[in-house]
Amino acid sequence: MRPHNHRGRLRSSLAVGAAAIMASTLVTACGSGSTGTPTINLYNAPQQNLAVMVANCNKAANGKYQIKLNTLPRTADQQREQLVRRLAAGDSGLDILGLDVTWTAELARAGWIREWTGSNKAEAEKGTLAAPLKTAQWGGKLYAAPYNTNVQLLWYRADLMPKPASTWAGLQKQAADLAAAGKPHYIEAQGAQYEGLTVWFNSLVASAGGSVLDPSGTKVSMGQPSVKAMQTLRDFARSKAADPSLTNTQEDPARLQLEGGFAVAEVNWPYVYPAMQANTAVKFKKDFKWAPYPGIDGPGKSPLGGSNFAISKYSAHPAEAFDAALCLRNADNQKIAATKDGLPPTIESVYHDTTPLDASKKAGPDNPSMVTAYPMRAAILSALKTAAPRPVTPTYQNVSTVVQAALSPPASIDPAATETYLRDQVDNALQSKGVLP
Amino acid sequence: MAVVTTRQKASWSVANTIVALYALIPVLWILSLSLKEKSTFTDGHFIPRGWTFQNFVDIFQVGGFTRPLLNSIGIAVIATFVAIVIGTFAAYAIARLDFPGKKLMLGASLLIAMFPQVSLVTPMFQVERSIGLFNTWPGLILPYITFTLPLTIYTLSSFLREIPWELEKAAKMDGATPFQAFRQVIVPLAMPGVVTTAILAFIQCWNDFVFAISLTSTNSARTAPAAIAFFTGASQFEDPTGSIAAAAIVITIPIIIFVLIFQRRIVSGLTSGAVKG
Amino acid sequence: MTQATVQSKTRVAPGGAGVAKAKKPLSDGKRSERKLGWLLCLPAAVVMVVVTIYPIVYSVMLSLQRYDLRFPDKRGFVGFANYATVLTNEFWWRAFLITMIITVVSVAFELVLGMTLAMVMHRTVLGKGFVRTLALIPYGIVTVAAAYGWQYAWTPNTGYLAQLPLWSGSAPLTHQASSMAIIILAEIWKTTPFMALLLMAGLAVVPEELQKAAAMDGASAWQRFTKVTLPLMKPAILVALLFRVLDAVRVYDNIYVLTNGANGTSSLSITTYHNLISGLNLGIGSTMSVLMFITVAVIAFLFIKVFGTAAPGSENMGRR
Repeated sequence: MRPHNHRGRLRSSLAVGAAAIMASTLVTACGSGSTGTPTINLYNAPQQNLAVMVANCNKAANGKYQIKLNTLPRTADQQREQLVRRLAAGDSGLDILGLDVTWTAELARAGWIREWTGSNKAEAEKGTLAAPLKTAQWGGKLYAAPYNTNVQLLWYRADLMPKPASTWAGLQKQAADLAAAGKPHYIEAQGAQYEGLTVWFNSLVASAGGSVLDPSGTKVSMGQPSVKAMQTLRDFARSKAADPSLTNTQEDPARLQLEGGFAVAEVNWPYVYPAMQANTAVKFKKDFKWAPYPGIDGPGKSPLGGSNFAISKYSAHPAEAFDAALCLRNADNQKIAATKDGLPPTIESVYHDTTPLDASKKAGPDNPSMVTAYPMRAAILSALKTAAPRPVTPTYQNVSTVVQAALSPPASIDPAATETYLRDQVDNALQSKGVLP
Repeated sequence: MAVVTTRQKASWSVANTIVALYALIPVLWILSLSLKEKSTFTDGHFIPRGWTFQNFVDIFQVGGFTRPLLNSIGIAVIATFVAIVIGTFAAYAIARLDFPGKKLMLGASLLIAMFPQVSLVTPMFQVERSIGLFNTWPGLILPYITFTLPLTIYTLSSFLREIPWELEKAAKMDGATPFQAFRQVIVPLAMPGVVTTAILAFIQCWNDFVFAISLTSTNSARTAPAAIAFFTGASQFEDPTGSIAAAAIVITIPIIIFVLIFQRRIVSGLTSGAVKG
Repeated sequence: MTQATVQSKTRVAPGGAGVAKAKKPLSDGKRSERKLGWLLCLPAAVVMVVVTIYPIVYSVMLSLQRYDLRFPDKRGFVGFANYATVLTNEFWWRAFLITMIITVVSVAFELVLGMTLAMVMHRTVLGKGFVRTLALIPYGIVTVAAAYGWQYAWTPNTGYLAQLPLWSGSAPLTHQASSMAIIILAEIWKTTPFMALLLMAGLAVVPEELQKAAAMDGASAWQRFTKVTLPLMKPAILVALLFRVLDAVRVYDNIYVLTNGANGTSSLSITTYHNLISGLNLGIGSTMSVLMFITVAVIAFLFIKVFGTAAPGSENMGRR
């Protein structure tokens, strides 16, 4: 997570499209005449300090390859659109692809990304946490190297809610009490009709002991746990805890509602913590705490996010590309991404690394370590142990789209009927049959 | 309209004010979002309580917005110019000449305007990549000309045919050469239509997002609206709404300048036309 | 009047895919006029054909195939099966209905408002340039950014509009009727200037003398508007309506930002995007594109029929 007072970051709400510019400057700066040195094109979501990591790897490569950073648009949909368009055209200008965890199966099924084998595979798996590693696999094979991971936690205001309940129902009751006392009582969640709703529902199904698809990823599972999950979702949406804007709330509006003092808690990714510390106007900063993700009968299973590096099938220099990808996600670089750009690492040892980025100086706001940037790192690690991965199928996007449509708005879910309807829809989606809403 | 009475003045001021409020309130809200300090972003006040110009500084210093802005200006001006020139040729032919294929021309251009662009960009991407137009100015200028032409041809042809062409004849009878007749009679009469069309074509090119995001990959050709898609918040999930708002305001300024320059031509075109008539 | 007029009067059906209908040999004048006509249209025609022919044909071909990018091995020709799938699908028809409602309501409002705005822009005696420039700003704002502005404005606690006591306590963007109203409002605000500018150009060709003459004959302002101004503006109205409708049917940006299709606000474009780009189903997605295209074409055809002779390229083109 990003340091609290890192000035350069705080000032700007705009962190950067400039990474690309910086990267290209760096490339030209240390480009070694280029003859014989293969250029490895990295396509990734915008990330402020990725250029620094690229420069590190270029230096380490010592002329073996030269990574060129190409930045994709901000939203996941647009990233995927651009990657797929190029891959479908057999573009040899792509080597390393930064992929959302839900795209692995899709790109692997289409034959666009290479399997990781031998020493590359061993290197990618070494010390990597189990949950993120699973998101890089499909059909028992490894198709990407886990780069960063993410889990949602419950974030709350201890001044209003000293001991948050561990279940959704418990939280609703606490919210109702706060409402009766005339205090902020909304519990923010991602209820808009978009990927976030699938994420929420998937986590609820897992918390109820089930899954959306069977382990093979080819059949619908759902059933009773899904009914229970839908019931929980609906009850929450109808309760005092739900913000009236629930069906239009994504991650960032949820954060803003809490920072604005209108809510008592939120389920969200850990980025909300440094953002809260950076907000100068908030009075309850000291009381902003985290707890495990809520569940149905007990603690819940957190939604799991993150991104992985894959190698394009059309890459002209696959050997160098694998090397470069491994360098970009090595422990040192993951530490930079984690402490500077708020991307939780996939290598377990990084969480226990207490030395600051610049080991020669003391840790502090401008020289973060995992300790200063991730006070919640233990909670992240333990959530990762039980986190709920999203369904693994080449048609994930279809499955997610029909789930979102069927569950929106959550308040009008009719659990049993919606389950039957959704089961049918997901079944179609798995076979890419029929029409998406 | 020689003398303007005080009463007329008053009633027109009211009308003008209503127009200004209609046009400006939502824009001022966007401006307000761009000027709000992060901590006051969600306070719901129309007028910011905490002011900052940081968003504007950031989009240029951190976001590298200058180059996309220059691309936008270059690409939109060239595309508009070419579309207006060849669109005027076609519109003149359609309005004034008789030739087989006229309806086909009109029908086909309308069909082009109607096809959903979302399904055209992928094949266009493939073509441009294979002939080296991808991520270049011409790679955007060509589609922009194409997709502004239908409106250009329709607007101009329906406008040109309303021009009293007899005036040209009359001028010639008065001893003007054909060029003089065209230059001094027809051009002023046609100007309002041409300028109107140019403004619309320019705005259409200026605001395009679909082609700009799909047919460019770096700042060498990326236009301003596409560049907005690359803005990021301080971390992955933070929305850069302040920056988006600031960019929207910045992007609108060239449009205002463009319209300010050219709307004069609408006025002068009309008055000089009236004098000649 | 002009030569062209005389000709089009004598000829029964000019134009029509280059079919020469004249029986007797053409005079030199006519021949050179034809040549000039073709020559003048050539650059525009070449650009449009070169840029769009391949993408359009490609899309139509895709609509006849089963083609999901993730299952390249299952690709195959399926005739009109995709059309049957889409046309029997409830999502498609729901989006169709929503799109039609948005189109009809927003364009109707825009026509009335646009006409009013055009009148003000055309006739105001104070700060003409100022008013004209101001009035065009909404059209000049990037749609996505404007949509974000509306979204924040309508979000409780963060927006000035949602705070109005009228709907206190509720979130307007979370109900179907109010989100539809907000989407339509955003559309109207944004594109009324487009309408107004085109209509103003139409107003500019209405001769001042005609108005004065009518006024002297004792016509009221309303009568002058409906009997003198409107008929002369028919071509401008047609073009403005036509292009506005074409655009409205493809409404995307505002919905994408404001609701992303939630609460029953999905439009044809949103659904097409979901299938074509998100779902990577090129077959179904292209079919939807073609169906949208046909929908728009039918609307355009009806328009031109209704407006008849006002349409550019109609029989008595060049004649009042």
